Amino acid sequence: MAGLWWPVRPAAGALRAWGPRGPHRGKTVQAPRRPLPRTPWTTRGPPPGAPLPRSWQDKRPVQEQIPGLEQVTYADKQHFVPWLARPRHPRWERGWHDPRHSPGLRYEAMPLYKERVCYVCHQRTKMLEGVRQALWLTKTKIMEGLPPKVLSIIDEPANQLENQDERVQNAISHARLWNTTELIPKRESYCPVLLEDLLHLCRTMASKYPSLSKRMLARDYKVAAIWERESSMLQVRGMNGILLNAINPLLPVASKDEILATENQILETFHPISPTIDLQEVNVYEERNDTGFREGYPYPHPHTLYFVESANIRPTRFRPEQLRAKMLMFAFGNALAKAKMLYGDDPKVLEHPVVVQSIGTEGRIFQFMVFQLNTTDLASSDGVKNLVWIDSDQYMYDYIRYLPGIRKKVVKFPPGIYGYRPDTFKKFLALYLHGAVQDSTQNKIL
Amino acid sequence: MAVSSLTRALGALLLSSAPSLPQRAQHPRLVCLGGNLLPACHGFSTSSTLSTDNPMWKCRIKYTTRPIGMKKTGGRDHTGRITVHGIGGGHKQRYRMIDFQRLRYVPGAESGPYEEKVIQVRYDPCRSADIALVAGGKQKRWIIATENMQPGDLVKTSGHIGRMAVSANEGDAYPLGALPVGTLINNLESHPGKGAQYIRAAGTCGVLLRKVNGTAIVQLPSKRQMQVLETCIATVGRVSNIDHNKRIIGKAGRNRWLGKRPRSGLWHRKGGWAGRKIKPLPPMKSYVNLPTAAARA
Repeated sequence: MAGLWWPVRPAAGALRAWGPRGPHRGKTVQAPRRPLPRTPWTTRGPPPGAPLPRSWQDKRPVQEQIPGLEQVTYADKQHFVPWLARPRHPRWERGWHDPRHSPGLRYEAMPLYKERVCYVCHQRTKMLEGVRQALWLTKTKIMEGLPPKVLSIIDEPANQLENQDERVQNAISHARLWNTTELIPKRESYCPVLLEDLLHLCRTMASKYPSLSKRMLARDYKVAAIWERESSMLQVRGMNGILLNAINPLLPVASKDEILATENQILETFHPISPTIDLQEVNVYEERNDTGFREGYPYPHPHTLYFVESANIRPTRFRPEQLRAKMLMFAFGNALAKAKMLYGDDPKVLEHPVVVQSIGTEGRIFQFMVFQLNTTDLASSDGVKNLVWIDSDQYMYDYIRYLPGIRKKVVKFPPGIYGYRPDTFKKFLALYLHGAVQDSTQNKIL
Repeated sequence: MAVSSLTRALGALLLSSAPSLPQRAQHPRLVCLGGNLLPACHGFSTSSTLSTDNPMWKCRIKYTTRPIGMKKTGGRDHTGRITVHGIGGGHKQRYRMIDFQRLRYVPGAESGPYEEKVIQVRYDPCRSADIALVAGGKQKRWIIATENMQPGDLVKTSGHIGRMAVSANEGDAYPLGALPVGTLINNLESHPGKGAQYIRAAGTCGVLLRKVNGTAIVQLPSKRQMQVLETCIATVGRVSNIDHNKRIIGKAGRNRWLGKRPRSGLWHRKGGWAGRKIKPLPPMKSYVNLPTAAARA
């Protein structure tokens, strides 16, 4: 076997070359059962309780150990040397208060600081649970679909424009095809244009119903409303959307029986998530209820809120659920501010409920909402609740084709609107006409 | 010069060193990004420019669920030289701050077991495992997702050790003393409250082997055994994305997308480091300070 250059392995079952010798020869070595004894080969570091080595002990700076010792720095030398300490200069004081360069007060020092935290909903608040969270915060009961009053306005043939479908399709084409010279316009450009065109179409009905002229659009106004909800203070603040004001208020949509029936409804909670999640917590706030308009404004009553969701980038854009929650919160905020202005700050059930409508769109999908504020007593979760009718995800059209689809040199799919649905604009118009159209078949207040 | 020699001599006598880094105000949501915040600007100012851009994109103290832009290092350290080869390029990644300390009480809320709801489970470019957005109370945070976590699940976190072991569901987090022996765990801490540093990769799990008077012994995925205090929190179940090791890269380009540069093509003779090694398991690693025999006696 001499001369082999590969290592010779012993036969299977034979004794290992490096195993134990003597009386334990042949025994297989087991891992020790008990914990290994503390030897320099089995432990690292000092045993517990023993003093640590010098390099591991807590070191206090020399200045703390020798009182009165000053560090010698290279400040006098005016240049760096590696063996002297780095000079720590005192913070430079201007000596006089410059309003453009002052750091500002701490939150605790501000005059409006309060110990109690307030949760604010503003126009960029995207609520995690969406409409369910907004329902709890505003003590509201949800009803699917639009109220029967509004649906009856849709059904009447007199409430339609001449060539309604053609004119609406022209409006859509204007916004999405003809507005800019670029091939595919961005949402930021086509969404507000579409809303303006649809509003213009609605306004042309003023020749038929003269009370439609007693309305005014308002943009860039700020609303403020504050209420208590089960030991949390909540606020709605800020600019929301385009508000359509009217001289005469909207009449209540639900009957008294329906309002009293809401007392049995239990508000949905979502354990373990708190209902105030995603709201901004502030300690510095002012308790203010403000409709956004001064006294003496000729169009005092809020009618409809229009929300345009035109963010270009998808993560920043509101999803339909979040948009509906935002619409609900701001419709509630406007209604509450108006109710407190009319009937005072005391929490009570309202004799004449305040109705505010809300339409939100992102250029193609429309969300319709009718909100009725029945009570300002929101601190407890029982009692009369507010009502909201939501018609969600109404498509006005399926898609727009910008370039023609050509198959074998024949234009098979011309550019334009595909999948147009006329019902969506009928609902849009019905919500606009609501309050101005007198329904002969139904009573006004049941 | 005399003053400097005096201070040097005093420094030798006393236990002095450079003063420790100023502690940042401990915010309850402070998430330690990769250990202490290193001194990016060193203690001296020179007339020459520093050799590299400040690489520390990790400047955020407050926790957020929004992804943060990262700066790639390319294997270079603060001097600008390559310290780790084979890193560079790859798809741009954004870092999502993961909360590894599972048992984190919100200041103001009462301590005790609490539940959280899983909102979303998604891919994380910075690790092999998937991450889950969980919401509880008023806060949302990212955690490492376990194998069968779906949106809408409720996961429980508890710090209480009872007399009887808890029948834990996957995704829940309990102290090791409360779990039955033999459970598969992941996201293990070595010291209570430190945050999970072990068993975080995709598909891995450790096994709780036994519990010995106040400590627990866990087998890590490398078969090494580890002894920790029983109050250390661990999550139950396997980490998500279990088929991660079965994926086929397929082409060199995919490795480049992952940020791995090609290795040197120079032929080296393989030395003692190459080849299969059969060694006994390293000894059990103990993170517990047991009293010495002298103290026990």
